[in-house]
Amino acid sequence: MIIDEMEKKLRPPEMGLKPYPPKVITLASGELMVVREAKREEVGVLLETIHPLMGVPKDFYDIVAARMFAEILGWYRYRVANEFVLVGAIDGVIAGIVNSRCVDEKVGMSLHTIAIKRGLRAGAQLFAAKMEHHLENIGEEQVYIVAESPIGFKRWMIEYELENWEDRYPQVSHELGGVPTYVLTRKLYDAVRDQKVTGTRPVDPAVLATADKLKAPDEYAQIPGFKRGK
Amino acid sequence: MLDFSVYGQEQQEVYAYKCPECGTLDYPAPMICKVCSARRDPSGVIFSAWEQVPLSGKCKLLGWTRVYALPEGFDVKYLLFAVVEFENGLRASGRLLVDDPQTGMELTAKVGVVKEKVGEDVYGFMFDRV
Amino acid sequence: MRKVAIVGIGHTVFGNLSEFDLVDVMSFASANALEDAGILKDRKIIDQLFVANMGGGIINHQTGIASALVSRIDLEPAMAELVENGPASGASAIKCGFAAIASGMVDTVMVTGGELMRTVTGWKGTDFVATLLHPEVEYNYGLTLPAFAGIFTRMYMERYGLTERDLALVAVKDHENGARNPYAHVQIPVTVEAIHEGENAHVINNYVAEPVRLYGTCPVSDGAASLILCAMDSPKMKYFTKKEPVLISGIGSATDTHCVHHRKDPLDLKAVHLGAERAYKMAGLKPEDMSFAELHDAFVILELAISEEVGFFQKGKAQEAVREGVTRIDGRLPINTSGGLKAKGHPVGATGVSQVYELVKQLRGEAEEGRQVKNPKHGLAVNFGGFGNNVVATICSKEA
Repeated sequence: MIIDEMEKKLRPPEMGLKPYPPKVITLASGELMVVREAKREEVGVLLETIHPLMGVPKDFYDIVAARMFAEILGWYRYRVANEFVLVGAIDGVIAGIVNSRCVDEKVGMSLHTIAIKRGLRAGAQLFAAKMEHHLENIGEEQVYIVAESPIGFKRWMIEYELENWEDRYPQVSHELGGVPTYVLTRKLYDAVRDQKVTGTRPVDPAVLATADKLKAPDEYAQIPGFKRGK
Repeated sequence: MLDFSVYGQEQQEVYAYKCPECGTLDYPAPMICKVCSARRDPSGVIFSAWEQVPLSGKCKLLGWTRVYALPEGFDVKYLLFAVVEFENGLRASGRLLVDDPQTGMELTAKVGVVKEKVGEDVYGFMFDRV
Repeated sequence: MRKVAIVGIGHTVFGNLSEFDLVDVMSFASANALEDAGILKDRKIIDQLFVANMGGGIINHQTGIASALVSRIDLEPAMAELVENGPASGASAIKCGFAAIASGMVDTVMVTGGELMRTVTGWKGTDFVATLLHPEVEYNYGLTLPAFAGIFTRMYMERYGLTERDLALVAVKDHENGARNPYAHVQIPVTVEAIHEGENAHVINNYVAEPVRLYGTCPVSDGAASLILCAMDSPKMKYFTKKEPVLISGIGSATDTHCVHHRKDPLDLKAVHLGAERAYKMAGLKPEDMSFAELHDAFVILELAISEEVGFFQKGKAQEAVREGVTRIDGRLPINTSGGLKAKGHPVGATGVSQVYELVKQLRGEAEEGRQVKNPKHGLAVNFGGFGNNVVATICSKEA
């Protein structure tokens, strides 16, 4: 493809990331959540899914949704370097989205985790998948992580026993708001991997096919009475 | 004159209380003796405050758990807790420092800091391998 | 003793109601009960309000909750008091209401229980419930109710051969019932394959206080429930013609040691046994007479342990009944037809009242399709305070 000179200037250099091998997780309800990488052409349904949550201040959905919307648009428009997006889909309906990016071969910068379907720990499974991609697939050594909400903090900082790098602030900080950061090293990841990361590979082709065409959810537990406008 | 010896008291104890009338031990301190009904007065003014007997050393593991969901202020991934029985028959709950416990195993009760509060640290039982 | 009947019931959805005010939530359930009883306009015939709540002072920074509630629903000058008995506050408030009527002091009582726990973080919530424990020798260590449930469950497994699969089966049953209960906090059915047998189960259903897993504990919930009681021989009964009255045929409670380590045999839930015995005695009934039961399953293990202590099954044998499906909605002795605390939710102060709400709903034949017990005659509710040290048992019966 021929890229215009100006456009070339505006795009960041690409590292070329390994693809994420899809897996399937059986959630407590017995529903199957396919976890796979999102494709650029699916940006529309991703943005459509995230958009309504920008109006939900409860549980910090508004800031997470707003920032993720911008990051995914940035990924699509080639304005963010080395970003990847993973989705969890139940019967093709998006249950959660995680996004992240690679600073270089050694360091990852975790961006966001949003759970649409609630009550089944979908967010926790997708966060773990994100770490799996950084450390096992892509082969990085460290991932920088911060949280906007207390729930995030408890789930990641405490349960993964992340290294606290607050003392290296402000020289070392996280891209999200330039705040002090926590770090997941390969060693810490290996220590918790078996309790945190799960899923079956390869995915049965019939099950994988259900996630071929992603759909935005018709209902949001976070937004009672929601109706998707035309 | 000020008594500076109150600082730097490293050796702390957890105490059982002994009834002054019938000698029965109980932990924690009751207000009425379960055996002879003698009364305890924490201030020691009206009735005896009862003699304190250090509780430590050999004990048996009766039950244990590894807890991931901890309350506010305990920012670690998990903690183990146990209920033990001492040789004198008294029982206690406390922190378990053994990572692969077996019900019925022999433990030793040590005393350590379980919580740091404003002005004073709180001491309690840490049960460890013999 | 005068006969006391339940003539009205009300409930809110259990779940996340943290955007609302505690007393507003309790008032909503109270008004629902007034409507169910047919006395929304004649509400001032209520003589006494008993309110059940545990965390108002700590979590919601509110005290004198009974005084606030009586005004919020325009019931002045009724007498009004708060009853706090930890997670057994609800049933204790019912017991106080029962005693007030049975003694002849008053004729009509409203009992409302409620809690708003989700306004604070999960680990502040855990800490709040842990304040039930002995401050020096338990709470200071970071011991919590889930920790004692973990210790209890392990001892139970080692003594009676209970397995994690048995606990998963109970959770599946509770969720199945909860999915048909529009008030339940969690209306998602779960499968034993997903939470126990499958490849992903150990991560999906992770340990909370080993060996207790996530699906062995109840959620943290907000909500309220309300009942209206009246003396059967009172002239005020003429106001209550809408629904068939349900009798409180027996109610009793008992206490056990505060410190768990003081219990001679920690697996012996003496307060459950004695509380139920006192209720059976007052009702002149036996365990075999119960058609169904709501048993306090804040931890799924407790549904099993309590069912044994109240005489439904032999000690250590409840899990066999579960494996055979005896306690399912279509079994011989349905337990936790509402979904139990596991799926219905556990707003601490509301639970005891919510359990009796379910007894009444079943005895009236008003339960939703798929979770109605066939021809129930008597129902037992057990509300467990602390870690088994203060337990209230209530028996409701269809009017003879």
